[in-house]
Amino acid sequence: MTARKQAWFTFVALAIGLALLPLLVEAGLGRSWVRILDLTLLYIMLAVGLNIVVGYAGLLDLGYIAFYAVGAYCYALLASPQFGLHLPFWVLLPTGALLAGVFGLLLGAPTLRLRGDYLAIVTLGFGEIIRIFLNNLNTPINITNGPQGVNLIDPIRIAGFSLGKTQHLFGVTFSSPQLYYYFFLVLTLIAIFVALRLQDSRIGRAWAAIREDELAAQASGINLRNTKLLAFAMGATFGGLAGGLFAGFQGFISPESFNLMESIMILCMIVLGGMGNIPGVILGAILLTVLPEALRYVGDLQRAWIGHVVVDPADLRMLLFGFALILMMLFRPAGLLPSRRHLNELRHD
Amino acid sequence: MTELIKVTHVSKQFGGICALNDVSLTVYKGEILGLIGPNGAGKTTLFNILTGFYTATSGELSLNDVSMRGLLAHQVLQRGIARTFQNIRLFANMSVLENVMVGRHSRTHTGVVGAVLRHRRARVEEVAIRTRAHELLHLVGISRHSQTLAKNLSYGDQRRLEIARALASDPQVLALDEPAAGMNPAERDTLKQLIRDLRDALGLTLLVIEHDVPWMMSLCDRIAVLDFGEKIAEDTPANIRTNPRVISAYLGDGA
Repeated sequence: MTARKQAWFTFVALAIGLALLPLLVEAGLGRSWVRILDLTLLYIMLAVGLNIVVGYAGLLDLGYIAFYAVGAYCYALLASPQFGLHLPFWVLLPTGALLAGVFGLLLGAPTLRLRGDYLAIVTLGFGEIIRIFLNNLNTPINITNGPQGVNLIDPIRIAGFSLGKTQHLFGVTFSSPQLYYYFFLVLTLIAIFVALRLQDSRIGRAWAAIREDELAAQASGINLRNTKLLAFAMGATFGGLAGGLFAGFQGFISPESFNLMESIMILCMIVLGGMGNIPGVILGAILLTVLPEALRYVGDLQRAWIGHVVVDPADLRMLLFGFALILMMLFRPAGLLPSRRHLNELRHD
Repeated sequence: MTELIKVTHVSKQFGGICALNDVSLTVYKGEILGLIGPNGAGKTTLFNILTGFYTATSGELSLNDVSMRGLLAHQVLQRGIARTFQNIRLFANMSVLENVMVGRHSRTHTGVVGAVLRHRRARVEEVAIRTRAHELLHLVGISRHSQTLAKNLSYGDQRRLEIARALASDPQVLALDEPAAGMNPAERDTLKQLIRDLRDALGLTLLVIEHDVPWMMSLCDRIAVLDFGEKIAEDTPANIRTNPRVISAYLGDGA
């Protein structure tokens, strides 16, 4: 019973902490940090989604950001002056997620026979193709508005309640980033819940089985094609959902937000945190979103102490990032919070 | 005796190499049929064709008079032929129990919705999978290792686990590819008893490939002999022992 009480206590403390977080952050660090919190939630959602493909099913996907782009553009084109459409969010988000899921199948189908590095190259190409399409689909008919991107995207509006402007609720004033925080938090928790449930189910075991040994999985009655496609489609759906949220949140998107570096960052979140393990993946996403932002202060510090900027924070970011990855490989190759299964894989005893 | 599996005029070519040449074979319900022959005779190739891992170049396969040609491995398992591999293929980083639970995949149905919502049907099915897996581990005698990782099992127990995983699909036919390889004589004897017990307890039909001829003679009801991709004999162990073609295949023409 005490263990149960303790679990309840942790849960309640966590809930209160998460609820108060944006209020405290805005008061202490300013509004821009609440926006960083919002982006962190989106990256958690992306990392949890990619973890289904890479961590659960073992399919190395380097073009995952393409699904984020599909979701974002789907939202942007259907809720902006670009085509003069302004659909409600409960149509936009599922449509974006579903469309991304379909793209997941489109990517999955031709790559069913590929594994490891071969699959990585094809998915990398896929990610770039989507970005280049978005960049160039402004002629002959202007669909995506090309490199200029789509502007003036509608903010998310729930039953007439816009998340895009300051609102007063229960005597408290909530800024737009704070409102988005609560909405993203709910969706992120749902995404985590879905991912956890999937992991510990017949489907999750089938994914783990094909990750371990495709032949043995087939001999155990697993339909390789369907199971792999399901992993691609599920992962892509998470990406598409996050993309839609991103478009509504930012109000502006352009193809350059969806480059290869982003795909690699999300993959790094998984690798850093612990592939296949949801708490690890969440930790990885938080670290890799928050730490680079914190590095911005390094520039100010240098100005204050030395008088001018010696090392550009942007350069420092990549340097530290590379350094962190090397340290990880040496000391925690299975991630900060590794999954039992992946940890075992790296032990050769 | 009821005919269960019929292999008729099956050939398999890999490029210019003929691995199986016009092999016909009948497997009767409830028997233990042995498949012997020198290395490279085509025993495993025949297994791979039967279980959907290879497609025969020509010829016909049927289970209970229903054609199995062109079926994929998971479809063959669905129809009721389960197998183990010559070089053990387990899900090494999953627990022993999980390995067997995966083997139940083809007889269960929970999809994404059931997995996420965990409605009543999904929960009942999950419990049933777990219960059945425990039963099978008990049956093959490794239930005390259920939480161990598959790769940490001893060699003999890994073979047993592979059998339990195959049994999880409720097969009619169990095809064992060199199940006694790497076992000492005592382990071989226990395995022999296990195979007989499985047939009697589950009404299985067994196909066994093994190099240990005396062991096979005492285990099998009938034995088929392959040599250079051709079937040279199919008979009771007593008759196989005296068959001149078999003797010359194993010992050379001078014998």
